[in-house]
Amino acid sequence: MLESFIKSLAGVPWLELLITGTVKGSMYALIALGYTMVYGILQMINFANGEIFMIGMFATVFGIALLSSLWGSFAAINLILGVVFAVILASAYGYGSERIAYRRLRNAHILAPLTSAIGLSIVLQQFISNVVGNQPFTFPNYYSDPFAWRVVTLVQGNPATGAGDVGISMLQVCILTTACLLMTALFYMIHCTRVGIAMRAVSQDRLMASLVGIPVNHVIAFTFIVGSSLAAVAGTLFSMYTTTLTWSAGTASGLKAFTAAIIGGIGNIPGAVLGGLLIGIIEDFTIAILGAQWRNVILFAILMLTLILRPRGLLGERVADKV
Amino acid sequence: MPKQLFLILTLLVGLTFAAGCSKSSDPSTIKIGLAGVQTGNDAMLGKSMVEGSAIALDEWNAKGGILGKKLEAISVDDEGNSEKAVNVANDLVAKGVVAVLGHFNSSCTIPTMRIYNESKILQITPGSTNTKITQEGIPTLFRVVGRDAQQAEVNVNYLFDTLGLRKLAVIHNSTSWGEGIAKEVADLWKKKGGEVVEFSGINEADRDFSANIATIKSKGAQALFGGLMYAQSGPLINKMRKDGLEIPFAGGDGSFDPALITAAGDYATNVFLTFGPDMESKPEARPFYEKYRARYGREPGPYAIYGYAAAQVLLTAMEKAASTDAAKVAEVMHKDTFQTAMGEIAFDEKGDLRKTYFVIWTVKDKKFVVLQQ
Repeated sequence: MLESFIKSLAGVPWLELLITGTVKGSMYALIALGYTMVYGILQMINFANGEIFMIGMFATVFGIALLSSLWGSFAAINLILGVVFAVILASAYGYGSERIAYRRLRNAHILAPLTSAIGLSIVLQQFISNVVGNQPFTFPNYYSDPFAWRVVTLVQGNPATGAGDVGISMLQVCILTTACLLMTALFYMIHCTRVGIAMRAVSQDRLMASLVGIPVNHVIAFTFIVGSSLAAVAGTLFSMYTTTLTWSAGTASGLKAFTAAIIGGIGNIPGAVLGGLLIGIIEDFTIAILGAQWRNVILFAILMLTLILRPRGLLGERVADKV
Repeated sequence: MPKQLFLILTLLVGLTFAAGCSKSSDPSTIKIGLAGVQTGNDAMLGKSMVEGSAIALDEWNAKGGILGKKLEAISVDDEGNSEKAVNVANDLVAKGVVAVLGHFNSSCTIPTMRIYNESKILQITPGSTNTKITQEGIPTLFRVVGRDAQQAEVNVNYLFDTLGLRKLAVIHNSTSWGEGIAKEVADLWKKKGGEVVEFSGINEADRDFSANIATIKSKGAQALFGGLMYAQSGPLINKMRKDGLEIPFAGGDGSFDPALITAAGDYATNVFLTFGPDMESKPEARPFYEKYRARYGREPGPYAIYGYAAAQVLLTAMEKAASTDAAKVAEVMHKDTFQTAMGEIAFDEKGDLRKTYFVIWTVKDKKFVVLQQ
């Protein structure tokens, strides 16, 4: 057992796993930001964020299909507008969920909004499953295939052992770039704009913030909209990357992103990014070393360990920064 | 409060009545259960199988039914989930079906075949290929498809002898069917002197395969066998080609659905799947295909004709036995040879087809074609 384990460690394609793990992790990080921002401002876990991610997937494909039937298949324009459509729709869902499921429970017992969030998540999931069907869908190949070419080859394959070469594809570059851009924009917004200052103020002391004239309800709604938009973009990227969409995708990825937020320190924005990347990389190495059936065992065991050893996460819940 | 109590009591009484109604069997019809996966991941394959059986029942009803009675089809959806399959099986038993055509997934047939056997209900599965199913010695269980052992052999022979490959990677979806066929392929491969460089199971919900592909790539596999259903093998083929892994992909009947080609798109190259012979080219199968298209307005899935032929066998045998008793019908089925849309069908003592063979199919111009007969 141990011997075969060590033997399997030797042949691990660590470079390629590092690449795929980082790419996947950056998408988890985008979702995790939604969890962490809402926690920072309301001290509640918005479990429906994973479903918003799934809605983003379907909205993109729906938007693309709509546009290509309206004026034809202009790959780049349709894709961008499809993402915009997904962001708008997901924001509407995010705003709607805050308005319907959470706002009236804001001062209730801490369990009330949490239960409401779990309920909302089930409602959204079943709703999509009933509306679009519970079979898997394919992301239109016409829009994802142009991104398949290899940008750079890092390691040439070895004809003697039959090992293939390792490279980075255009889609992986696009996913990393998009994630980096969005995260930078988010940091800028939180630290350098008026709305960011308002968000930080609300997260530190909601009552005091309202006393100095900050429209607390608007700021909270805005937080949900930003979180949902990030999740929607992650949904688009994820469905392009895996080429499939399923109604149940939100639960699996949502829970992993939530774990990422906890590991990084919930409420902490750099923590969510770090947590997402860690989860993605650990997941891929687990699949390669122990097998895919172990991925959830390891990930959630790490979650429990983190909660026991560092309840506030790796970077901690820095009160001054949290949003 | 008394008002609410009254309401609850009324509801309870109503429920009892409703339950009573559903259980009382109407003796003027013969009930046949059509069970299979009709929604969810494997929906495409299972749904057309059930529809194929339904067409046969309707044909016999148009001819006046059987044994002087009309046939009643009770179609149930097991969602490809073994727990759900047990529920719908118990439901079918409660409704008094005399025979069941189903289920589709091996993981649904294995837990339900004991239930039907205990209730003395005849079962013909048109789609479950797991070798274990007919090894349990249930006398009233039949199938109109081949076994995974045969499928695995055809696959291995093609990859090992025809293509001359020696290093194989195997991946499966951890279900009775997927893991079963993956193990048979790996064992055969080793017996032939080949090397299995990677053998791993994934979850049925997994859609992200990059880490698996990276591993297979680094181990220098010359071919990949997937004990996967089409919902996973399609995206997997797409992803492995995009990640620069061009080795042949081989699979069994679970991957054999046009949805695989839709998902893999232009990347559906070097794909070799085992399935039954090309049925549509057979003259006796043609009327069925025309009828299916006319009735449902879409292309029949690969298992539609298996569902149809299973129903044909069942009804012919019932007529011959002049009874719906499972033991009597089974006796006829073991003895006789049946003319069906799939050609002649005869069963051996285990309930397997006497004559069955698999052929290799490949993808050409976004369509499945037979590679070798």
